[in-house]
Amino acid sequence: MSERSDGYRTGTDEASGAGGASAVMENPPSIETSGLRLTYSDGTEAVRDVSLSVPAGEFFGFLGPNGAGKTTAIKVLATLLKPTDGKVEVNGFDAESEPRKIRESIGYMAQEIGVDEELTARENLQFACAGYGVPRSERPGRIDELLDLVDLLDVADQKAENFSGGMQKRLDAATALVHRPPLVFLDEPTTGLDPKARNRLWKYFREINDEGTTIFLTTQYLEEADQLCDRISVILDGEIVATGSPAELKQQVGGEILDIDVETDGESSDAGDGRGDTDGASDDPREQAAAVARSSDLFENGATIEKSDEGISVTSQRARSRGTDLLVALRDAGLTVTGFNVRAPTLDDVFLAITDGEEREPDRETGSDDADEAAAARTATDGGRRR
Amino acid sequence: MSTPTETAETTETGRSERTAEREVRRSSNSFVGDIWINFKRWNIKAVRNPFVLVTSLVQPIIFLILFTQVFGAVATNAINAGAGSISYETFLVPAIAIQVALAAAVTSGVGLVNDIEEDVFEKVLVMPMNRGAVFAGKSAAEILRIVVQIAIILGLGVLLGAEIAMGVLGAIGIMLIGLLFSIWFLAYSNILAVLTKDQESTIIGANLLQFPLLFLSSAFLPLGSLPRWIQVIAAFNPVTYGVDAARALMLDRDVMTVLEVTAFSGIWNTLVPAVVVLVVLDLAFGGVAVYLLTRATSSDAK
Repeated sequence: MSERSDGYRTGTDEASGAGGASAVMENPPSIETSGLRLTYSDGTEAVRDVSLSVPAGEFFGFLGPNGAGKTTAIKVLATLLKPTDGKVEVNGFDAESEPRKIRESIGYMAQEIGVDEELTARENLQFACAGYGVPRSERPGRIDELLDLVDLLDVADQKAENFSGGMQKRLDAATALVHRPPLVFLDEPTTGLDPKARNRLWKYFREINDEGTTIFLTTQYLEEADQLCDRISVILDGEIVATGSPAELKQQVGGEILDIDVETDGESSDAGDGRGDTDGASDDPREQAAAVARSSDLFENGATIEKSDEGISVTSQRARSRGTDLLVALRDAGLTVTGFNVRAPTLDDVFLAITDGEEREPDRETGSDDADEAAAARTATDGGRRR
Repeated sequence: MSTPTETAETTETGRSERTAEREVRRSSNSFVGDIWINFKRWNIKAVRNPFVLVTSLVQPIIFLILFTQVFGAVATNAINAGAGSISYETFLVPAIAIQVALAAAVTSGVGLVNDIEEDVFEKVLVMPMNRGAVFAGKSAAEILRIVVQIAIILGLGVLLGAEIAMGVLGAIGIMLIGLLFSIWFLAYSNILAVLTKDQESTIIGANLLQFPLLFLSSAFLPLGSLPRWIQVIAAFNPVTYGVDAARALMLDRDVMTVLEVTAFSGIWNTLVPAVVVLVVLDLAFGGVAVYLLTRATSSDAK
């Protein structure tokens, strides 16, 4: 307790030590919230009852769609917004009573680029160094180091207004890191960046995390969270609906997704209401394809097989390995396959799995015994799932 | 008491040794240091963008030239109603100096709105700087600009034939009065900026006041020659106190008519009450502005 009150922990400690997960757990958490709520003055409940704990040294991700409350939550943690209710502790400091202590010990990169365009890259960094109290003697070296890191050394003395969006974003990232904060907040840091710029930032974020910096990242992209994060919380309508490692979350989806398009005659493309025709005697090639897939034995019991707009969609652990076998089976059944794709689950799929999982818990148990019943349940939720 | 301190220090050294390679030791920010950082930033911006400096000078210069040329002959009679031989140029220059302070102070709020719109404001808020110092540093840069602009107006006035009775000392005095006067209006325009977060509202809100304030004061003609109701309003108008103080320094005599102060001698009967009024105003408006900026967040949470 006394240790926490005379200074935040840098998170470097365990990096210089064993570096194992057990060392991480011994440190006080970088972020600890309980019952965090934020309601805007217009009545919007942006964040409701969020409790989370991020250990020092972790690369933590807040994953959610637009409007889920990610930005609001990150602003509360960065002391830019006062919570309506709940307790927030960052680096061991209470947000209510010691916001300035928190500000000293965090870096914050907002979703919007906060670069002064009338100043040069170097001047922006000088201002940030001064604002964060980096000792004067260390500033020139630190600034050059950061400029080099974000590849802006050759344009260091040009005004930021001449920079491209990607360059400004990189400069913005650099300004949030001048004081080597033990905890960095990144609010959708790569939105709107080209892949090259994005990869470059990812590399840098990984580097500072490897050095022991705790990172709190928000993103809409599962891929980004997957690439970077040790642990993810999925936030939906201001509430955390799932927490786990990327692999654990993807497991909830039940594997990879196999999309198969089949040729339809056009007349029977009534996507929505074919739900009564699960008896297999349907004229709809999509129904026939789904029936073939279900009766094929190719996929495990937990796999999901459902009709899509153009054909069928199979979510399975064996999507990749059994895909071609299914194509053969479909051909043998006299169906013409016009498209074929195996993909990793997207954020949408994770959301669907999570929300479905909550709705369908009882179905799933019986469904494994009786494939048809499970299929009916799947189709029943189909309408709600395609928004 | 000494033991815990020692323990804390040992822990501190131990940690900094371990992390010396990576950790930049932070010097904690000082209030003056925070003012200086922001002062520097806004000065760089002003020099990079001389447009603002020039535009806030244009209107006062037009006033100076047009008023002296158009009303000069008529006004000279009015201002010399007693016995005297003051030119209208000499009479008007202190008023134009105050007008410059008004016009330039409007742009302060606009700068803040720009900062908010470009998301730099939020970045500044998340830095561990004293927010009062952030505001003070920005204001100091703007006040410096205002003082320079007043110097330009004084020079121009002298070229047009105005006389500063107290010479350089008087000129410096007028600049200081301009400085003191600008603070409350600068704070007012920042208050508008924080509340509206909108450039147009800030400009309109501040500009709407500018002309009524100038005309319903002792700026352009002696109050004695104006209707009674204007005299009443002028007594409550900050511009009257700024202009009277500047004019007292220009003419080296007691010119205040809204308050009859005789406790001091000569020019001080104007300067002392005027400065008191302006300081009170500055503290009141500055206080509100700092309060609003200190509790400023990036959006409206309940």
